[in-house]
Amino acid sequence: MKKYVLKRILYMIPVLLGVAFLVFTILSLTPGDPGSIILGITAKPEDIAALNAQFGYDKPFLVRFFTYIGNIIFHFDLGISYSSRQPVINDIIARFPNTFLLAVFSMIVSAVIGVSLGILSAIRQYSVLDHICVVVALVFASIPGFWLGLMLLLLFSLKLGWLPSFGAASLKHFILPTITISLTSAAGLLRLTRASMLETVRQEYIRTAKAKGAPERRVIWKHALRNALIPVITTMGTSFGASLGGAIIAETVFAMPGMGTLLTNAIRQKDVPVVMGATLFLAVLFSVVVLVVDILYAFIDPRIKAKYQNGGRSRE
Amino acid sequence: MKKLSVIAAAACLGLMLSVSAAAAEKTDLVIAMDADIETLHPSDYSTTIEINILNQVYDKLIYMNPDGAEDPEPRIAESWEISEDGLDYTFHLRDDIKFHDGTPLTAEDVKFSLEMYQNSDYQSANVDGLDTVEVVDDSTVVCHLSSPYSPFLLGISACNIASKAYSESVSAEEFASTPNGCGPYRYVSRASGSNVVLEANEDYYGGAPEIKKVTFEVIPDTTTTAIALQTGEVNFAEIASSNLVMLESNPQITIAEAPTSGFTYLSMNLEKEPFSDVLVRQAINYAINRENLVMVCYDGKAEVNSNICAKSRFGYSDDQMQYGYDPEKAAELLAEAGIETPYDLGKILVAEKYENLATVIQADLAAVGLNTTIVKEEFNTFIGDLTSGNYDLCALEMTLEGDTQQLALAFTTDWIGMANNARYSDEEMDALFAEAGVVNDSEEREAIYDKIFTKAQDEAVYAVICNPQTLYAYSADLTVPEFVLEGYYYINQFSWNS
Repeated sequence: MKKYVLKRILYMIPVLLGVAFLVFTILSLTPGDPGSIILGITAKPEDIAALNAQFGYDKPFLVRFFTYIGNIIFHFDLGISYSSRQPVINDIIARFPNTFLLAVFSMIVSAVIGVSLGILSAIRQYSVLDHICVVVALVFASIPGFWLGLMLLLLFSLKLGWLPSFGAASLKHFILPTITISLTSAAGLLRLTRASMLETVRQEYIRTAKAKGAPERRVIWKHALRNALIPVITTMGTSFGASLGGAIIAETVFAMPGMGTLLTNAIRQKDVPVVMGATLFLAVLFSVVVLVVDILYAFIDPRIKAKYQNGGRSRE
Repeated sequence: MKKLSVIAAAACLGLMLSVSAAAAEKTDLVIAMDADIETLHPSDYSTTIEINILNQVYDKLIYMNPDGAEDPEPRIAESWEISEDGLDYTFHLRDDIKFHDGTPLTAEDVKFSLEMYQNSDYQSANVDGLDTVEVVDDSTVVCHLSSPYSPFLLGISACNIASKAYSESVSAEEFASTPNGCGPYRYVSRASGSNVVLEANEDYYGGAPEIKKVTFEVIPDTTTTAIALQTGEVNFAEIASSNLVMLESNPQITIAEAPTSGFTYLSMNLEKEPFSDVLVRQAINYAINRENLVMVCYDGKAEVNSNICAKSRFGYSDDQMQYGYDPEKAAELLAEAGIETPYDLGKILVAEKYENLATVIQADLAAVGLNTTIVKEEFNTFIGDLTSGNYDLCALEMTLEGDTQQLALAFTTDWIGMANNARYSDEEMDALFAEAGVVNDSEEREAIYDKIFTKAQDEAVYAVICNPQTLYAYSADLTVPEFVLEGYYYINQFSWNS
């Protein structure tokens, strides 16, 4: 197990270098240079050239790339933003906590709603509850996030005056964005859990468990659920990783300063150091989340646990 | 009975307390901004919201109304004179001004600030014409120009005066992020992506502001801004015309319009056929229904104007010709130019935010038999193709604010490849703008601009459509002075109604 985790952590190095190179290349291929984007079309060409030179943007692609990587490895320096001329790390530190909290809250809420209703739906297949769950899930999965967010704002901020309409100053500010994100993702989880449960209860080992006289409750919680949750956890893990990149729509509608708006603005302004810094930071986190999900499998699925115990080889 | 009276007294007291709390003067103000600022550097800024925050923190030598109609007002400089030859501007500074850190403002700070503008990649246009700055004594500074340049004073009126000692005592990063000005508000804090907080400078030489604390909150979505205005979480904001209906119906909200010199236009590439023919350009100008476009794309909140010079700007005159909507005239002109309709005019280049403009224009042109296709590009590609002349027609908005002389950027040969999108090159026009730049007499300048805009309209260099207005919405309890051209605001002139 330890060996496996260590190996996975070492794998992260080529992955991160690959991500860095890819993002850097794509940014270089997109049109426009930071100088003319910042100064606009009324600027004199010599001012634009001077600003680009100040950023080091006049140097060849590979020189810029290796200087950048070198600064990270040898100086732990993510660079200075082109547009704000402040260290990139400051922006990330200011915004990441909001994004992280929002991602955690949304995951908890959507998991509680989605998984529990999904299980209920599956064990009472074709009941009234099941039909309601499926229809409501379909509705929420289809509603665009920005519309849902605005409707919640109109109701809870404007009409009822219960909740603030923008910002991230207190936990109260997180309620509406969390609902916006988790209603949509809970709908997906509900459908996935339901489908996965339905498939699992048709497996032979469930029939065996039932045949040997195990009580219904035990069959569902112990045998069916553990197996049915594997794809659900995979989805939750990757979607949590993705939401660390920022729930751009919720951040925009509720004016919550997070990683999503930081990245989109930086891409638009061709602020290479900010895009690179934020992407790498997120790539590290995403790799860690995926690793944690893989380890979680072992605790849920006895088959995978057995593989780890045999030094990564299957028993057969 | 005794107990009851005690309760009654307590209730009365409680009531009085709550009444006095409600009557206590409101002194905070929350302003929404649609994007975060990048910097608060006194000279190296680039966005309108940065200007609006810097205007509260930094003061200028003089104040000038951007429409050029009013005489300059004293600020840091209490008086000034211009030498006969128009080469030397002498400013006499007030001696009672202190920066927010308590150090006095001297002529050295003015020299430092103007030189900082000269070396700025961002705003050096504000000090165009300036050669050297000379400090005569602590309260006298002379600006030497290399040649007479009439827009000099308006440019100087936009320059923030910063502290030389402060710039030397802090890092470049801190100088840009933590401004130390001498304006009516001092900088308190900033949270990236979230807000900027300012507090009143009680020692401001123009008097302590009534609003004591100002918070600029980042709210990217315009509908969220409109909701926050109605809940009272935001007191003042620039709004999108799409939210007008919602806000106008609310009696707690006041809407104000500010004219701007920015213009919406269809640029024609004069280096390509058939746009090199003045008749075709005139026909296109007559074919566009400007009133309709303003209703469709701006909810009516733009001033119809086919002249590149905004109506409240110096140099505009009603005598300069206006193109109205006249499709029959357009058809006649096209026939005269030898164009047989239906005719394929080419592509209209747009970025996403200008797409609705192009759609309306496309329909108007089709009505006179000119067929076009719309090509949408990502913004940076769009700007690249526009400035390099890789287009036929292009619909967009542009701002060339400051002195009317800034419009030279749209017409003179030197600016082809930048803001001269039409790629218009005409010796007479170049000479007229050069002349307007060196004449100091206001009437003479006006006469030259009259020639310039009459010529631009006769030749239909651009198909200008309108000047969009900046819309502000604010609490009905807030008193805000009327907005002048460009709509910049100074919060020390705001107050809450008591």
